[in-house]
Amino acid sequence: MTDSQNYKQRKKEIIITGFGGQGIILAGIILGKAAAIGEHMESTLVQSYGPESRGGSCNAQVVISDEIIHYPYVNQPDILVCMSQSGYDKLIKQMKQRGTLIIDKDLVRPSPGLKDDLFSIPATRMAEELGRVMIANIVMLGFFTAVTDVISMNSIQKAIVESVPKGTEELNSNAFKKGHDYGLATLKGRQKKATGQAGAIS
Amino acid sequence: MNDFKIILFLCNWGPHTAFQTLQDNGSEIPTEVSMMIPCTGRISKSLLFKAFEMGADGVLLLGCKPGTCRYGSGTATARENTEDTREIIGLLGLGKERLRHVTFLPDESDLLLKFLNDFCNQIRSLGPSPMALIRMPESEIVSRESLAEIVSYHDAFACQDCGKCASACPLALIGKPFSPRELVNSIIAGDMDSLSVNKDIWSCLTCGLCYDRCPSAVNFPEFIRDIRHVIRKNGGNAHEAHGGFFQSLMRTMTSPGLKTERWNWLPQDVAVDSKSKILFFGGCSPYFDIFFRNHLGVETLNILMDSLRLLNFFDIKPALLQDERCCGHDLLWSGDKDNFLKLASMNVESIHNLGIEEVITACPECYRTLAHDYPKHGIKLNFKVTHIYELLEREISKGAIDFKKINKKITFQDSCRLNWLEAPADLPRKLIRRLKPSSFREMQNNGKSAICCGNCAWTGCDAFSKALQVKRLRQAHATESDLLVTACPKCQIHLRCAMEDPFLGKELNMEMIDLTGIIAKTIYWE
Ligand code: SF4
Ligand code: SF4
Ligand code: SF4
Repeated sequence: MTDSQNYKQRKKEIIITGFGGQGIILAGIILGKAAAIGEHMESTLVQSYGPESRGGSCNAQVVISDEIIHYPYVNQPDILVCMSQSGYDKLIKQMKQRGTLIIDKDLVRPSPGLKDDLFSIPATRMAEELGRVMIANIVMLGFFTAVTDVISMNSIQKAIVESVPKGTEELNSNAFKKGHDYGLATLKGRQKKATGQAGAIS
Repeated sequence: MNDFKIILFLCNWGPHTAFQTLQDNGSEIPTEVSMMIPCTGRISKSLLFKAFEMGADGVLLLGCKPGTCRYGSGTATARENTEDTREIIGLLGLGKERLRHVTFLPDESDLLLKFLNDFCNQIRSLGPSPMALIRMPESEIVSRESLAEIVSYHDAFACQDCGKCASACPLALIGKPFSPRELVNSIIAGDMDSLSVNKDIWSCLTCGLCYDRCPSAVNFPEFIRDIRHVIRKNGGNAHEAHGGFFQSLMRTMTSPGLKTERWNWLPQDVAVDSKSKILFFGGCSPYFDIFFRNHLGVETLNILMDSLRLLNFFDIKPALLQDERCCGHDLLWSGDKDNFLKLASMNVESIHNLGIEEVITACPECYRTLAHDYPKHGIKLNFKVTHIYELLEREISKGAIDFKKINKKITFQDSCRLNWLEAPADLPRKLIRRLKPSSFREMQNNGKSAICCGNCAWTGCDAFSKALQVKRLRQAHATESDLLVTACPKCQIHLRCAMEDPFLGKELNMEMIDLTGIIAKTIYWE
């Protein structure tokens, strides 16, 4: 685990996008909370819903910085998390060059050129396997924490436990862990591939 | 003449003539024991090994020159048997040099004398065999009381005589006049001398199918196991397969002085770390492969290699037990509990000395024995035992792993030793479902009703075992699969044996691979 100090002196603009009901906004709240309370940074959240707010696309715009934030809207995200195809289609063009793209593997089909340059996880499928589709957002947060270095594991886990409904803490912690493990495995896989050892028998 | 015990097996024909010349001339012959035999080809691996088990420091097999064998194939057979046994005693840490097969013409008496002197000098310089004298279980007349104890410990009195066991038993179903129920009843009646008890007790595969069906939950396999111990103590014959080679091998591993070399085959690319707190326990595959290499050509060593590579794949570099001994499974299940207990405490002591926290194994028998039977026999473990399937399932489910497609239709042979333990029973199928074969089809009997591979603990192998295996392989073929995935090295050995049937061979033949092998071949980081 990295020390929270390492996350300072940095500004990150993040958009999480998906359908209403996927817990997109809650994910944004948790992220902001973790930054503000856990890392003692500044953070803002702007939530925006599409025209048809129920079930339609929605997104959470989160800014995290160690300086005061003057403008809370995110036009060009450093990190774009997509949990729906429509969200992806709408926002991918805005992503910063060399930004980090994270998608739900089963819900988003990225444009062909991007294939190798993104992080993907079947978050919704994994949530289903855990018994609740609702916690796909938390699986995603676990994955996010592992593959980016925006927030420390400690801060975000605390923020999760404080933000989810009482009685579901354990389920959510599990979901977080699953996503986080998947992230670590993804990183390990990339490292192995880079050294030319993708398989078990060379 | 000297303190070393050197055994000379001497073929009746060529070498014996030379030997006799030496005797006639009054030459000083350095060996202690010499035995005339009709042909070196008749000295099996188990006989060669038995000599070492009984304390020989060196063993010589002297036969006729190639082409002069009176029976044609004797010389070649002797050469193979000696080579295999040499390799095995090499792995065992005894030193290959202690066993030689050499051929002589009848008139080569001078050469023979020189050879005998050289060999004896070599043995003297090697020193006495590190093999301790192995005690066979001391025979004692077992009283009716201790039998009754076993009966009541396993609650065999609860048998309702319903016969469900007999109707489930694969041996009975294949037509063997064999009934677990009758066996239980004869034992309860104390009729230990009856033929059925004395013979049938060694036939049971201890596969556990009957236990699953028994309404009174009589744990028949463990009951049989304990009764076998009693019968063995009373001097009964264990009907050992292969002349008792494997029982001898495993018993000799109780010698404290042995420095085994069982990992000497390890390929360079496999990473291990002697300081790791995780230990990989290999099992006896290296010995099996040598023993069967000329006959069945099994390659169970691949299971160890693939398991180690899979651990490396997940960045685990395990420690290995340099003086690993047999886990004792086969001794425990063939009536030699005393030597089982010795092996168990020696292994556990070595593992504790390394400060190991977790032992991983790919062998179902090792797994069951370490995790379950050691503690049950009062041997405390300060480490956790994990079957490699548990570890694989845990790591793979973390994600970012995928499997290459394999152009094979697969079916699966259950391992009886995993099937009857709660935790790992479902794991093989979970793992198989992750693979990408052309198809996966179950055999008619699968899971809890699976038919076993036809032998357990190298006892009681007979024509009915073969019939059982044939039935099983026909079930495998009936799935129209072309790859039989197994979960135990013994399944590979015993089923391969059935495929060697000279009349049915082609019809039964099927490619086999262990589950670890198919995973190792296809797994990759996404
Ligand atoms: S199934 Fe159980 S109760 Fe029935 S005959 Fe067999 S041992 Fe006895
Ligand atoms: S353990 Fe298997 S072989 Fe033995 S009696 Fe029961 S069903 Fe038959
Ligand atoms: S099935 Fe073959 S290999 Fe197995 S014990 Fe019987 S004879 Fe030996």
